[in-house]
Amino acid sequence: MTSALIADALTKRYGRRSALKDCTLDIPAGHVVGLVGPNGAGKSTLLQLACGLLDPTAGRIEVLGARPVSGSPRVGFVAQDTPVYAGLTVADHLRMGAHLNPSWDAVLAERRIAQVGLDPAQKAGKLSGGQRAQLALTVAAAKRPHLLLLDEPVAALDPLARRNFLQGLMELTAEQGMSIVMSSHLVADLERVCDHLIVLVASRVRVAGDVDDLLATHHRLVGRRRDTADLGAGRALVEQSHTEVQSTLVVRSTAPIVDPSWQVDRLDLEDIVLAYMSGATGDGPDRVLEGQR
Amino acid sequence: MIWMTWRQFRTPALATGALLLVLLGGLALTWSEVTELATQTGYTGCQGDACRAAGEAFLQALQRGWASEFHIAAIGALYLLPALVGIFWGAPLVARELESGTYRMVFSQSVSRGRWLLVKLAAGCGAAALGAGLLSLVLTEWAQPIDGASADRMNPLVFAARGIVPIGYATLAFVVGVATGLLLRRTLAAMAVTLLVVISLQIAAPFVVRPWLAQPVTTVSPLQFDGDYGISMSPDTGRMTVHFEPDRRGDWIVSSTTITSTGAEFNGPADMTQCGPRASGGREACQSWLGKQNLSLKVSYVPGSKFWDLQWREFGVLFALTVALSLFSLWWVRRRLV
Repeated sequence: MTSALIADALTKRYGRRSALKDCTLDIPAGHVVGLVGPNGAGKSTLLQLACGLLDPTAGRIEVLGARPVSGSPRVGFVAQDTPVYAGLTVADHLRMGAHLNPSWDAVLAERRIAQVGLDPAQKAGKLSGGQRAQLALTVAAAKRPHLLLLDEPVAALDPLARRNFLQGLMELTAEQGMSIVMSSHLVADLERVCDHLIVLVASRVRVAGDVDDLLATHHRLVGRRRDTADLGAGRALVEQSHTEVQSTLVVRSTAPIVDPSWQVDRLDLEDIVLAYMSGATGDGPDRVLEGQR
Repeated sequence: MIWMTWRQFRTPALATGALLLVLLGGLALTWSEVTELATQTGYTGCQGDACRAAGEAFLQALQRGWASEFHIAAIGALYLLPALVGIFWGAPLVARELESGTYRMVFSQSVSRGRWLLVKLAAGCGAAALGAGLLSLVLTEWAQPIDGASADRMNPLVFAARGIVPIGYATLAFVVGVATGLLLRRTLAAMAVTLLVVISLQIAAPFVVRPWLAQPVTTVSPLQFDGDYGISMSPDTGRMTVHFEPDRRGDWIVSSTTITSTGAEFNGPADMTQCGPRASGGREACQSWLGKQNLSLKVSYVPGSKFWDLQWREFGVLFALTVALSLFSLWWVRRRLV
């Protein structure tokens, strides 16, 4: 399996404030990867480091086997809040893409603009948030990058615009076969499009894996209150909560759990992510602020 | 990148271009007025001493028409142009991208940051040089009879609105705007700082930079009390200064001081029985007393013949500053930005 992005002890500091600290991860290529975590986990900083907008303070980052530089034709980036040139029309944006990218796919760009119902003569400043996001995605996709990075592209959109955007993204991956890394703090968005998930909390990877695997190997156990010291081989405790009489555990286990003293339930992706995020709150002092300037 | 630069730059460029066209049109329309008046008053083709009187008559005649107004307007425009170029072309160039976040979009295209800024700098500097150069050279040509008659082109105020110096100011102001926008990351703040820097530069140039560049010639000659001179004195302390206007037509007088035989500046004390309100002898007595004080006039001046020499030197300094600031901006956008 080749890697789209490798980070090794990657750190980005602004003065004394760390936006990303000692982050080590490996994102496989050929997937639609969801990068999920609470606000301030360092997702945005990681993606901006990956597209060369930021330079790391320390550590190493490799994207498609090379140190990232801005202006690379192989990496596309849709920034948070999907900035576009307010004074330029939709058609101007496509013209800009055609002029600035040797690998520009004009057919794809025009088809997408028509598909999502954008008027080419419209000024981008007059577009709604959802239309703006679609325009930004079109410009990034028509560049035909090998890796497309999306930084919370749907965070500011209403549910309908969000669904349209994700729909568009799915069509793109089906047609183009590009690797995608998309960050969000909303699991429901990622569940729809991602086949690989990384939970990042305070610059640390809490869990990473294919969505199907994660769903198959995580279980919720409910039973009589007991000590959780030994769960048995091949099982890892993710989260626990206890009442007077009852214990509820989230456990990762490759083998099915057959134990009559536990009531075993399947978990959906959101439950799993939340379990990892709340299970991580013990690292409180390490929490960092979102890397925005 | 060239298309993108033009697309973003065309509105301010066309607006400035339209203003320049109005001025150039005004100069073109008054061109014949200037040459005709110069012929009518006999200034054109005059010989020797007659030129001075004919020149005066020509300048007098000029006052009545539109030409003198356009002359002042064009000089004013050449002083205003650097500030406008710095504020409206330079300052928003990078600052607006940083402010609106669009730098993240353009830096994600397949064009390096260095090239992005380089093309923009080249386009802006080129347009600024073209605009300022066109206006300045047309004005220099247009005002040739006026400059000849008034012998005033070394005057610091006129000097910076002639020849190639305006090109230097316009390009430097543009790059100053770009660099401050890059450092401050806020359009409005960058505009304000750019305005301040450009104005200070325009003020500092004639007082500090130009005298240093021109290396003025200094002469000392005994005072002859036959021309016009001014006296100022304080009747209580007897402190007294004498001011002479040296007769150096066409030269730039950097400084002119009255000195004593020791070389120090003359500042009295005056003989209160000969000069001042309580003296009885009047102006003649004071003049003859002054005449016995062994005073000299020390004049530091730049000969008018060094006009183009000084133009090139000042342009060279401005050009070097423009290049240095451009290289700094390019380095900053590649290494230090975000």
